[in-house]
Amino acid sequence: MTTAGAQGMRQGDDPRQVPFLESARLASLAALSRTELEALQLQKLRRQLQRLYRTSTYYRRRMDEGRIDPEALTSLDQFFEHFPLSTKGAFLADQTEHPPFGERLGIAREAVALVNMTGGTSGQGQEIYGRSQHDVHMQGYMHALPWFLAGLRAGDLAINCVPAGGLTTGGWGPGEGLRIIGATAFHVGGSTSTEAKIDLMLKIGEVNFIYASTNYLHTLTEALVRRGLEPARAFPTLRTLFIAAEGYPIEWAQRIEALWGCRLQEGYGSTQCAGFGASTCADGALSASGGRGLMSLFEWETLCEVLDPVTLKPVASGEMGELVVTNLSIEGSPVIRFRTGDAVRFVSHRDAASGRAWNAIECGTIGRFDDMMKIRGNNVWPSAIDAAVFSHGEIVEYAGRVYTSADGKTEVEVRLALSEAIASSGPEACSRLVEAVRTSIKERTNVWMTAVLCARSELPEFSYKARRWKDERQQGYRL
Amino acid sequence: MRTAHLAPDPSERDHQILTRMLSDAESLCRSQDALLVGQYCHLRGRIAALIDLVAPIGAGEARS
Repeated sequence: MTTAGAQGMRQGDDPRQVPFLESARLASLAALSRTELEALQLQKLRRQLQRLYRTSTYYRRRMDEGRIDPEALTSLDQFFEHFPLSTKGAFLADQTEHPPFGERLGIAREAVALVNMTGGTSGQGQEIYGRSQHDVHMQGYMHALPWFLAGLRAGDLAINCVPAGGLTTGGWGPGEGLRIIGATAFHVGGSTSTEAKIDLMLKIGEVNFIYASTNYLHTLTEALVRRGLEPARAFPTLRTLFIAAEGYPIEWAQRIEALWGCRLQEGYGSTQCAGFGASTCADGALSASGGRGLMSLFEWETLCEVLDPVTLKPVASGEMGELVVTNLSIEGSPVIRFRTGDAVRFVSHRDAASGRAWNAIECGTIGRFDDMMKIRGNNVWPSAIDAAVFSHGEIVEYAGRVYTSADGKTEVEVRLALSEAIASSGPEACSRLVEAVRTSIKERTNVWMTAVLCARSELPEFSYKARRWKDERQQGYRL
Repeated sequence: MRTAHLAPDPSERDHQILTRMLSDAESLCRSQDALLVGQYCHLRGRIAALIDLVAPIGAGEARS
């Protein structure tokens, strides 16, 4: 931590305990035993299911299917054993049959105050979420909570590098969260170049908090270093770097903390969690021993299970599994036992040794079971690119790679092999085709990719499932 | 300002105050003023969310 420290921190206080010393509410939640925490979850879950049984045909049907009577629910185990899982496909089918929100909405259509959608780059379609006024505040809280834990306080100067607005939860939640905390926020994401952001930050001077995707923090750091600036000296009041969305090597996190002279904190968030579902609190993305840190799950708001994606049984502490989430307070389009597809390493509260009864997931290693790639903030599935590329019949095969360029940017290269007929039709026709493929990919993924031609013999043959993509970004995170 | 009969415990006191505020906000939501009613509903939503966030742990299951 820098000398700035958190407001109200007393000399000798363990920095990891400061948020709990400054908020009696957080202290109460941190003091709960596992039994008490699960009792609170059950109480909130029963209330949520009782409400949804009355207001959502989708969830009433699922409760009937699992023979769950919300009035008679007596344990979380009963819920885990009998409540059917939901998937993206089930949500999309519900929306198709009952547009635009589906029967899972759970509130009156007229009570929807904010519409959020998922990215739509899966090739399957976009989930639509209708949030109430209550939920707008909750989404703000689910951003404010990890940031408060990470040291952000009222009056602090914050830089939000994530693009604001639009249809995503990540576009609206941060603004609400920063206002709830009372921070003075500069929402620079998407609207200004990296160089302009640095100019602005230097003018502001006393920056206390930066929120960015992992990749963008790398880009920003690289740009500062290229200018000959040492981040720790340029921003001596910076207290917290907060990242989300992408994995990273440990060495990168160590280098970032050294360059900036402050702690790196991380959060796990999603539209389904209505913001962040976990964060490093004040503990850091790196553990005390220099290994990967842990993100504590905010289990009193989002009930989390980590399941083996094949057997659908809970994984043991230390194992990778699929995160399944249930909103305990969200009213509009809540998710109940939703399979996120996110691969996380589960760490039980016993092994987390945080002094809290909150379960945790490992920092820096969140992935996807379905091969989704997070590229420049977009969820990109290989299947969507397959669809774009192979919509051009002249393309016979392709291979792609995502990598970090020398200047720290995420780049994507697609190598295309043409059919013999088009390959012999001259350079102009080939160029036109390459450009058309690029445009198709952009339309389906929201990402511009570099496309180049290659010989068919340079690309592999696939006898079973195609593995056309390589993600080489971690190799590029070297400062 | 109504301050009588507030619980001595800070979290219970906050919850009591917010519950009263919610009742008042719900009255405002019945306003016939089309310009104001949306703002009142915005206010009601914020209060309802805060009730969720400060509800005494282990208390009954009453919902806003």
